[in-house]
Amino acid sequence: MTATSPTPTAAGLTRPVGPAAGVVPVALALIRRSLLGTVRIPATFIPMIVMPLFFVIAFGGAFSSVTLLPGFPTDNILNWVAPFSVLQGASFAGFGSAFGAGRDLENGFFDRLLLAPSPRLALILGALGYSALRAFVPTVIVVSAVLLTGATVPGGVLAIAVLLLAAMGVAVSAGLWGLGVVYRTRTQRSGGLIQVGIFTAMFLSVGLVPLSQMEGTWLYWAARVNPITAVLGMARSGFVGDVTVDAVLPGVGALAAMIGLLGWFAWRGFRRLEG
Amino acid sequence: MSLPIQAAGLRRSFGDLVAVDGVDLEVREGEIFGFLGPNGAGKSTTVRMLTTLLRPTGGWARVAGHDVVTDADLVRRSIGVALQDAAIDPLMTGNELLRLQATLHGIGRIEAKRRGAELLERVGLTAAGDRRVGGYSGGMRRRLDLALSLVHAPAVLFLDEPTTGLDPMSRIALWEEVRSLNAENGTTVLLTTQYLEEADQLAGRIAIIDRGRIVSEGTPQTLKAQVGAPTLVLRVDAGHRDEARAVLSGRFGTERPAPTPEAIAVGLDGGAGAVADVVRVLDELGAELEAMELHEPSLDDVFAEATGRRLEGAEEATTDGDDEGGTEPAAEGRRGRRRRGGTS
Repeated sequence: MTATSPTPTAAGLTRPVGPAAGVVPVALALIRRSLLGTVRIPATFIPMIVMPLFFVIAFGGAFSSVTLLPGFPTDNILNWVAPFSVLQGASFAGFGSAFGAGRDLENGFFDRLLLAPSPRLALILGALGYSALRAFVPTVIVVSAVLLTGATVPGGVLAIAVLLLAAMGVAVSAGLWGLGVVYRTRTQRSGGLIQVGIFTAMFLSVGLVPLSQMEGTWLYWAARVNPITAVLGMARSGFVGDVTVDAVLPGVGALAAMIGLLGWFAWRGFRRLEG
Repeated sequence: MSLPIQAAGLRRSFGDLVAVDGVDLEVREGEIFGFLGPNGAGKSTTVRMLTTLLRPTGGWARVAGHDVVTDADLVRRSIGVALQDAAIDPLMTGNELLRLQATLHGIGRIEAKRRGAELLERVGLTAAGDRRVGGYSGGMRRRLDLALSLVHAPAVLFLDEPTTGLDPMSRIALWEEVRSLNAENGTTVLLTTQYLEEADQLAGRIAIIDRGRIVSEGTPQTLKAQVGAPTLVLRVDAGHRDEARAVLSGRFGTERPAPTPEAIAVGLDGGAGAVADVVRVLDELGAELEAMELHEPSLDDVFAEATGRRLEGAEEATTDGDDEGGTEPAAEGRRGRRRRGGTS
């Protein structure tokens, strides 16, 4: 859109003001900028690739015997830890976007964005779009790795698609949490606080052991109310059996709730930033 | 009738700290307006309010005819801003940044490409357009920042300390660019600076701000004229020093603080035209004139007159110049324009 309106000037002349920018072009331009940054510092790829694999190896090794527990949903530990590792990697993708926003706030680049007549929503969507795109990386890396090591995915392609959806949702949620924090603190040094939130949410869930094995402990209650538990149930469904509506719906609902709540948190932070 | 920039009682506080305390401002269309003051005076806070980055806690401001709070988006569409730190993503090229900036302003791809090429040429960066900005010099970054601020052909341009940290050559090149932009396009420019010379060279009118308040406003010439007589600083042989001091201060004006104990400083009530008489009187006394300098009132004198303090940035401007080969403009910034007298 290039809507223009006249601006009165001292001499009584009119000079058209600049056009209004659209949400989608601005968000896409910001995603492109983030991708350029990633491509131009190849070292940033290393943690994106290594960390999810590290999680698979570490969790797979340390928790391999949990598959022997009665009623455990799979006999291959990789099918159990792979989705959790993907979601961990996806949460880091969200963290990365928030960290980038913190850097922009510190070095003044964010002022350039705020000074533009772009829709404010586009500035947030640009960061989240990059988080969601980055969620592809742990998904592809981990799924490829477990398939190469001989694991099978009972749910097939649909299982991988559901896992990807869950990963993108977690990346967006983590991004919103991180953005909400950096918009308030205006510094990338708040990264520690963001990580505490992400790790707490990820580990106080059924990431490593099923809910049934936590009964009688406070961890059980923490995992029950933690929305990540439902998201993990969705992400894992096709890796430990068939993808079912009963598993996917609570996950989608949990993601929607997280995105709604954390989106409000981020938006409020953004508004504070503006004034 | 509205002015491009207008503010009344503009105020911003951060808790108990009042950063801007009731600024009234009127900038006319097509002028370069200088906002001069030391670090922490409130210049940048005022600019951040005028450019919608910060909400005022009191008063009001209109830019390009729009209220900075209620019509912030219209203000943003009408202004170009180059902030103090030239925040530019070092991983992007000049061309990429221009395209991003154009997108942020709602300019389509084809038009963005055309504008980008035009602006890079204007600021002399065409050859560097495809290089990453991380490899640019400070002067190149500032010029690119200026180009970015012009991508949507704004009616009003804000330049917040545009030459801080630049070497003298880059500083002068940027001044030229701002001058031609103002002359060719009629763009109204509000320029903040702590460099006296910069304000003197560029601005048609100046507001001096200190501790959040405007303490003086006018053209550089009228502000300097308010300070009064120029100061003659001279050095004579030690045997005639006390006599010369008494005679000169009694006959030509009032004695002023001299830079060294050996020097004599006199405010010349008769202006620069009295210098010849001073030389004649010294000759009559039989004094040997070793050195003589005439200091015309500078903006630093104006600042000192208004606040009782010297401008911090003046020292920095001089140091910059001296460190990098020493340019007369930078030196003049602190000392005022000098006419050097020969020894007799």
